[in-house]
Amino acid sequence: MAGWRLGFAVGNKDLIGALAKLKTYYDYGVFTPIQVAGITALTGSQECIKEIVSTYQRRRDVLVNGLNSIGWKMEKPNATMYLWAKIPEEFQKIGSMKFSLDLLDKAEVAVSPGIGFGRFGEGYVRFALVENEQRIKQAIKNIKKFLT
Amino acid sequence: MQLAKRVLAVKPSATLAISAQAKELRKKGENVINLSAGEPDFATPDYIKDAAINALKENFTKYTDTAGIKELREKISLKLKKDNDLNYSPREIIVSTGAKQALYNALMVLCNPGDEVIIPAPYWVSYPEMVRLVEAIPVVLPTKNFRIEPEKLERKITKKTKVIILNSPANPTGVVYKKEELEEIAEIIVRHNVHCLSDEIYEKIIYDRIKHISIATLNDKIKNLTILINGFSKSYAMTGWRLGYAAGNKEIIAGMKKLQSHSTSCPNSIAQKAALAALGGNQSEVERMRKEFEKRRNFLTKRLNEIKGIIFSEPEGAFYTFLSHPQISDSLNFAKELLEKEKLAVVPGIGFGKEGYLRISFAASLREIGEGIKRLKRFIENS
Repeated sequence: MAGWRLGFAVGNKDLIGALAKLKTYYDYGVFTPIQVAGITALTGSQECIKEIVSTYQRRRDVLVNGLNSIGWKMEKPNATMYLWAKIPEEFQKIGSMKFSLDLLDKAEVAVSPGIGFGRFGEGYVRFALVENEQRIKQAIKNIKKFLT
Repeated sequence: MQLAKRVLAVKPSATLAISAQAKELRKKGENVINLSAGEPDFATPDYIKDAAINALKENFTKYTDTAGIKELREKISLKLKKDNDLNYSPREIIVSTGAKQALYNALMVLCNPGDEVIIPAPYWVSYPEMVRLVEAIPVVLPTKNFRIEPEKLERKITKKTKVIILNSPANPTGVVYKKEELEEIAEIIVRHNVHCLSDEIYEKIIYDRIKHISIATLNDKIKNLTILINGFSKSYAMTGWRLGYAAGNKEIIAGMKKLQSHSTSCPNSIAQKAALAALGGNQSEVERMRKEFEKRRNFLTKRLNEIKGIIFSEPEGAFYTFLSHPQISDSLNFAKELLEKEKLAVVPGIGFGKEGYLRISFAASLREIGEGIKRLKRFIENS
């Protein structure tokens, strides 16, 4: 529900009270039908979450197994829809920004350069598990060509 | 527990106490007449709701560009050209979660801590609090007959002045500034090189065939210093959709976009599609609501004239009148007693920076307005 813009905070009532006061002057409440949808999301069947999670898990397995098989070694992440991967040794010196741009240019695979996540992110890239398994397999083929 | 100073400096809404009490009374089954509303009592027009339903069906439910979808910014650009004779490119426009966020973000982008923001009084309750939240200093400018006096405005300007807030048509007085007045104000703003935050949210709710003029239209210099704020809540009866926008110099808009990208990201995707339909559709619904407000205003002012001693602003726009009476000294107390004894909810003037006054909203049916004023008259005559 990314575009719906709905989140929540829970905590000590004085803190939540201060947040509510701030919100009065900032954006004044949340689009009303979306609040109703939020109630339904919480009270309805939670099966959809299981389906989404198992989809991400399959994609994660295909991507990590695939990258490992072409020599780009990494661990499987335990959570989220992201994969945080150390750039192969021989490409370390060009930095995450150049590596990401090259990967986009030559392998047609878009990843996020680690430097965007702070200076300790340098040397890494982030994959997002937002493509289907077929396209992930294609990406691995392209990356293999790029790396060799 | 120690909260940050910036939030401690902010007062809770002065109007909240009355509306909470009114709700409480209504829950108990009391026949409360509510003339305190700050939103149209009409439903959002069907063609706008249909666009939202279609957006959902088409799965238009993901993140959009932080500044809003390009189509909507293009449509707003077109609207500003057509209605206001203003040229803003889509890059000079940002869509926000309500005009409120647009105002807040503009203040965040323009003000450093300690900068001064001039606010003509009576003012909309949120302006001074927003200024405090961005750690700037609200400087209240008293007005004459609720209109800015240019020479007094100029005297309030110091080295620290960064922004002057202009709200026409105005909440709570219904004042609409004329071209000649705006020219004098603009001349001062340009000469002192400060910014004008022009809140034009009530643009479409305007009476007696007066034409709304945006200060930004006067010349390029004032246009470049102005951040125009508008939204969909009042014109299209879309308050709960939370959608507004700002137009201005592209550096300011880029700053607001950067800020928004780290606070709320894009406005709700579905509401954006609805807003696109609102601007693109037949505008007869807007006119229908406007006419209805005009009828109510005429009825209200006629009834108010029947109460001895009442002085009120004849609204040229928006849907409020601001009134005083010799018996109203402590407006909060007066409003509380009016609610307790006559079950009539109005907003005390103190919240708008003007003691001795009340704000009456005519975003209510003729029957409610008639009954409300009857109760006000009885209360004044019996006390």
